Amino acid sequence: MSALLSVEGLRIAYGQTPVVHGVDLDVPVGPYGVGLIGESGSGKTTIARTLVRLHRASAGSVTFDGRDVLALRGRDLARYRREVQIVFQDGDGALDPRMPVLAQVVEPLAVHRSVPRSARQERAASLLAEVGLPEEVMTHYRHQLSGGQRQRVLIARALALEPRLLILDEPTSALDVTVQDRVLALVERLREQRGLAYLLISHNLAVVDRLCETSVVLYGGVVMERGPTARVLTSPRHPYTRALRAAVPELGVQRIPLTRVSSGAPERARAASACAYVDRCPLAVARCRTEAPVLRPYDGREVACHRAEEADNLAVDGLATG
Amino acid sequence: MSRPTASRPARGRLTARLHRLQRQPLLTIGLVMATIMVATGLLAPWLAPFPADAISATHPSAALLPPSSEHWFGTDGIGRDILSRVLYGSRISLAIALFVVTVAGVVGLTVGLVAGYVGGKADALLMRVTDVFLAFPALLLAVALAAVLTPSASHAAVAISVTWWPWYARLARAQAASIRTQGYADAARVIGAGWVRQLARHVLPNAATSVFVQMSLDAAGIILTAATLSYLGLGAQDPSPEWGLMVSQGQGMATTAWWVVTFPGLAILLLAAAFNFIGDGLQTVLDPKRGHR
Repeated sequence: MSALLSVEGLRIAYGQTPVVHGVDLDVPVGPYGVGLIGESGSGKTTIARTLVRLHRASAGSVTFDGRDVLALRGRDLARYRREVQIVFQDGDGALDPRMPVLAQVVEPLAVHRSVPRSARQERAASLLAEVGLPEEVMTHYRHQLSGGQRQRVLIARALALEPRLLILDEPTSALDVTVQDRVLALVERLREQRGLAYLLISHNLAVVDRLCETSVVLYGGVVMERGPTARVLTSPRHPYTRALRAAVPELGVQRIPLTRVSSGAPERARAASACAYVDRCPLAVARCRTEAPVLRPYDGREVACHRAEEADNLAVDGLATG
Repeated sequence: MSRPTASRPARGRLTARLHRLQRQPLLTIGLVMATIMVATGLLAPWLAPFPADAISATHPSAALLPPSSEHWFGTDGIGRDILSRVLYGSRISLAIALFVVTVAGVVGLTVGLVAGYVGGKADALLMRVTDVFLAFPALLLAVALAAVLTPSASHAAVAISVTWWPWYARLARAQAASIRTQGYADAARVIGAGWVRQLARHVLPNAATSVFVQMSLDAAGIILTAATLSYLGLGAQDPSPEWGLMVSQGQGMATTAWWVVTFPGLAILLLAAAFNFIGDGLQTVLDPKRGHR
């Protein structure tokens, strides 16, 4: 399995504040989905923005098809932008309020001159049809669209350049369930029809479970657990993934109290050498505060936890009471 | 927000906008007033009862006649028909306003959008230059400039433009700086759009509204400033029918011949008010978040 995109030791900071502390991540050639799971503040979106060169990395490497992404300039960067596209989380903000929908889908074609001028409108219209938007939407403006329609326009715009890798940043978090389902079905279809590889960023385990072969669980800018989705999400081994899994409410099951993932931003006072999750972990011991666990193979995936083995026995009680 | 259903059958955008005008009585009044004054200015040669009086004709025997059926606005100190002069005068005021708004608008928008959107060193450099211009009180700078150049209406327009653009630069910069962090700016960068495309296609259309509104509000101020400069003898020169100049010339006889100052003064007031109404109304109508566009 050769990686299309390979991220190693990626560190990212906002000013002086580091938010991503050395993340490794591979996306294979499509059709393939990788899910990046984490809550707000875990650094998911920051990673996505860095991958599309909207934000600087402070250390680490990103390789796409053998090219050093972080060093790309000029013509090479333009080519990269064509091959890697992103669908932003905020469909409202990512659309220009003063440009009709069709023009926004034509724009990438015009920037890269990938389609002759005379054929651009037609091409954009067919993309809008492909993502299931009715024809009259073409002349509409942002505020006239529903949330699902906005997300589809963004997807059509991202697909216009026929990227090899698509980054989907919470593509459905702003949508209600039925609309969400249609957008997900669209991603599934595009994946098969276009052989698309994608990095799907989400806090929704069900979405990742449906669309991704591989899952990467992020907390506080550190990978907690990663491996085949079937293993990571169905039988999580890291206390954080367990807590996320247990926090998903199930229909018909009245569980009192609902298991909660203890909230609050990771404390800044934590020692640099400590585990990122230590302040919220019900299983934390002294060692977790002095020695950050590294990813190690365990039970068919990789886990960054000193107590993964013991967790099997301790976790149920430890977590259920939060 | 009461927003009409998203897919209302295609109604012309113009019709929709006209429809919205009905809910903006002040804007409508302003537009009507401004249209009338532009029209009378353009048609002055046909409307003015004594076209020759607008410039240099003198009729000493008919000096300072009060308003009558022959001279609706009376005559001035050398017997010129004031109505004719006021009609011609609107051409001068409107031309100055148009010139200043265009020149200051283009310069200010360019400087401000580049500074605010590109940021960094470009921003620092451009805004320091802007600050230098802002450091002088506008009227003072205009007075100084007009004094250095030979006084005339066109030099007054140039002088006002020089003092006016920094305000547009500031306004445009603030708009562009906020657009810079918007999702659609990121969306443009991510597809590889260059600076020029980003500025022309995304930043300008989104920043321009507030600048256009400011321009229409400013038209009033520009007309007043031009009138002030003429009044001070630094703008249009005799025999020009510039309104400010007419007020200045009639000032000495305001107690004995009230009509000489009153009618050009009223004209200034009405035109300034018209543009103020338009600016206020545009602010509401052009806001894309308000209803159907």
